[in-house]
Amino acid sequence: MIRTVVTTFLVLAVLLTASAVFADYPAADTVAGKCMTCHKEKSPGIYNQWFASSHGLNRVTCIDCHGADRRDVDAYEHEGAWIATLVTPKDCGECHEAEAKQVENSYHATAAEILESQDAYLAHAAGGHPVAVTGCENCHGCNVQIDPDASNKLAVTSWPNSGIGRLNPDGSKGSCTACHTRHSFSIAQARKPESCGKCHLGPDHPQKEIYEESKHGNAYFTHTDEMNIKATRWAVGIDYFAAPTCATCHQSATSTQKVTHDVGERISWTLRPPVSKKKDEWPRKRENMQEVCRNCHGEGFVKGHYYQYDALVQLYNQKFGIPATKIVNLIKEKGLLESPAAFSNDIDWEYWELWHHEGRRARHGAAMMGPDYTWWHGIYDVAFNFYFKFLPSADEFDDPEVKALVAEVRADPMHAWFNRPTADIKADIESGKLQEIYADLFASE
Amino acid sequence: MFDRFRNFVRGLATNWIGSLGVALTTAAFLIFVFVELLRILGVVTGSYSGLVTYLTLPALFILGLLLIPIGWRRYRIKAGRPTTELLRERFRPEMTEGRLFGAGVFQMVLLLTVVNLLFLGGGTARMLHFMEEPRFCGTACHDVMGPEWATYQASPHANVHCVDCHVGEGFAALVDSKINGLWQVVSRTFDLYERPIPTPVHQLRPARETCEQCHWPDKFYGDRIVNRTRYAFDAESTPAFTTLSMKVGSGKGERRGEIHWHVAENNAVRYASIEDKREKILWTEALQPDGSWRRFTNKRFANRPEPGDAVRTMDCVDCHNRATHIFEDPENAIDDRLQSGVIDPGLPWIKREAMAALTAGYADPAAADAGISNRIRGFYLRELPDVSIGMSREIDAAVASLQAAWRRNIHPGMNVGWGVHPDHLGHRGGRGCFRCHDSGMIDEQGTAISSECTLCHSILAYDSDRPFRFLAPADTTDAEYRMHVHLQDEFLGALEEK
Repeated sequence: MIRTVVTTFLVLAVLLTASAVFADYPAADTVAGKCMTCHKEKSPGIYNQWFASSHGLNRVTCIDCHGADRRDVDAYEHEGAWIATLVTPKDCGECHEAEAKQVENSYHATAAEILESQDAYLAHAAGGHPVAVTGCENCHGCNVQIDPDASNKLAVTSWPNSGIGRLNPDGSKGSCTACHTRHSFSIAQARKPESCGKCHLGPDHPQKEIYEESKHGNAYFTHTDEMNIKATRWAVGIDYFAAPTCATCHQSATSTQKVTHDVGERISWTLRPPVSKKKDEWPRKRENMQEVCRNCHGEGFVKGHYYQYDALVQLYNQKFGIPATKIVNLIKEKGLLESPAAFSNDIDWEYWELWHHEGRRARHGAAMMGPDYTWWHGIYDVAFNFYFKFLPSADEFDDPEVKALVAEVRADPMHAWFNRPTADIKADIESGKLQEIYADLFASE
Repeated sequence: MFDRFRNFVRGLATNWIGSLGVALTTAAFLIFVFVELLRILGVVTGSYSGLVTYLTLPALFILGLLLIPIGWRRYRIKAGRPTTELLRERFRPEMTEGRLFGAGVFQMVLLLTVVNLLFLGGGTARMLHFMEEPRFCGTACHDVMGPEWATYQASPHANVHCVDCHVGEGFAALVDSKINGLWQVVSRTFDLYERPIPTPVHQLRPARETCEQCHWPDKFYGDRIVNRTRYAFDAESTPAFTTLSMKVGSGKGERRGEIHWHVAENNAVRYASIEDKREKILWTEALQPDGSWRRFTNKRFANRPEPGDAVRTMDCVDCHNRATHIFEDPENAIDDRLQSGVIDPGLPWIKREAMAALTAGYADPAAADAGISNRIRGFYLRELPDVSIGMSREIDAAVASLQAAWRRNIHPGMNVGWGVHPDHLGHRGGRGCFRCHDSGMIDEQGTAISSECTLCHSILAYDSDRPFRFLAPADTTDAEYRMHVHLQDEFLGALEEK
């Protein structure tokens, strides 16, 4: 009995001593406290954002995110501690493991791959390096360069940058602060449409403007105070019901789905390229989205919306996107372009704006129920470009093969109205004959 | 005797010039004696009386004395006769008769000369004495010196005479100051002075001769506790407390890291600044034990030329630049008055409203009085009528206090507004310590002068809910837990070192 007591006592004593020796708290506390003391004075804005944040509440302090291994390429010594200015998804993932993994697999994380794309080519060639840095890379993310002579070890063209696909020196992709702006790292901010609107706006992808036009946006701006936006759990229909934001449909929790940081998990079409395609595993992704819709809409409403939306995408694809792409490809194959550089000929820009600006506006408008963007900013602009800029430019090459292809396109029943009397067309509209041409576009699923 | 004097004086009044001289001299003398008598009896106390008694009257007296011989000379030229004849004509026979000690006239002149000299000597002494009084410096040209006078009166040095710091001891310093004063009269008359009057950094006497007369360097100050209360701009004007344990130390410089180390006996710190305000420091260097200097250069001014003659060795005023003429920061001014209770923190929204009232632009003191009153009273009348009635006494006190604060700190005529004269003490009013303790101030190896917070002060509360917060046990659920532990350890560690 006595032996058992003594043994237990000894084991406990050893354990307690070990825990005291190995506990890293005192040291970490001291360094952390020192950072906080100075920065409360010298950067009160940052300090107070942090203080009021969940990080402050949970005592996650400066050094927990900015602490670095001295072997890191961007590490530098500051007041006796090794730190890094850049905090990457890998760092955040130390605690937010699931979120970091979702981001890693998301389309957002590939945003900086645009650096190899036509968009980046255009910005560098027609624009210039400064606009690539301040424009493109501030949304898409830069390839972070190290400058050993800089006080924070980061090249000045790479910092500041919070682009969502930033290529970080530790091999990770992205930047959590793109949506969760430092140093409050607010979940509420990421849930608000304004957060996405930092990048998703403008002539080539006006998601923010479309949302503002839609009934979803209308409801949101009417009921901003009733969104329960700061709640930890934020399941649509349960924790709030006044309106959906971008995050509601694309990312946030529902009664059956968990929140996801993989923003493509509920998207079935890719509306980005010249010709839209269904994404891999699109039926599952579409079901994910429709499950969100069903929290506020009936089954018939949801099906109806997708029926109309799919038809619009098919209209764009079949009537404009596919023929325009065919014609441009033929011109390029035959080497008919006058200037050798991409974007140095009229038709380069016409085709580009047709799909990259106007065609996307139409498709995004239909996806998010923005009628004006679908038609006046969308298909209307596509049609004008197609009939009065693009096709005439193609004809001007005076090449028999191209001419033949253009003639074939013009002869398509969807384009044949061009050479008919107005009265006949009106009669066909009235009788529904003209609409029949487009019947195949519906229910193509 | 009086009869003799009257006859003598009449004799001197040869023409209008002579008469004027006699009148001026006699009147100045009599008024001087009269006013001095009143002053001694305590009837006259106004600060302006000195200007008349000790400056104007002696001047008139001398002018009169000069006029008398001028008048006599003109009289003699006009008459065209010898002096003896004229003297006999002007004075009675018994006055002109030759006697043992000269004629009566001569005796009278001798006697009055002695009296004049005594009077002038006394007058000069009284005049110099008067000129050494603060009220002369502060009010003689009061619109110019207004800001300095107002702040001096409210300062910890209000009982120390201006001249004790601004004028040295001895005859040379006296002459210097009088010549300087003459120039001031000229620049005042012809409006040649700057607004605001620049701080006289070059003319100030060395601190060794002034400050150290009372604050001798051997005195060990040790650690000094400073409590600051910052009130929030909310309805309750919620206070936040900062407690600092300032590591002042002694002037002996036994240990580095104490603030008075900078001016300690065996240490020297010198610097060059790019301007006279000494706010932008080009480089600074400290004397090392081996006699060499370790220099830290400001990389922000890397390409500035070296100012040849502007190297200065630090003394008291490089930090205590506003030891007396203390212009307040508006927020500090309000917080101090809230803390002392002159303004009642129980008045709803008082911090916010006081700040708005005090810092609005007013053209002159009358406009400020009206504006401050309207703003504060108007706010409570309009927004909180119950408070307006129930706390009217507190509102009156707040208005009066803010008006006084404005008058002390703001002087539109001299272009003295908020923030014109930053205080170098600390780092909140101006850059203060951070002028040198800056990450941009580096030596040849690239090492910067430390700007670590706990170098000069331990922090015992930092915008906390109560003073001395960090001396209490740390709460592990507090967002500032780690800072709390760090600062507590630092303070206790620093105590142990001692």
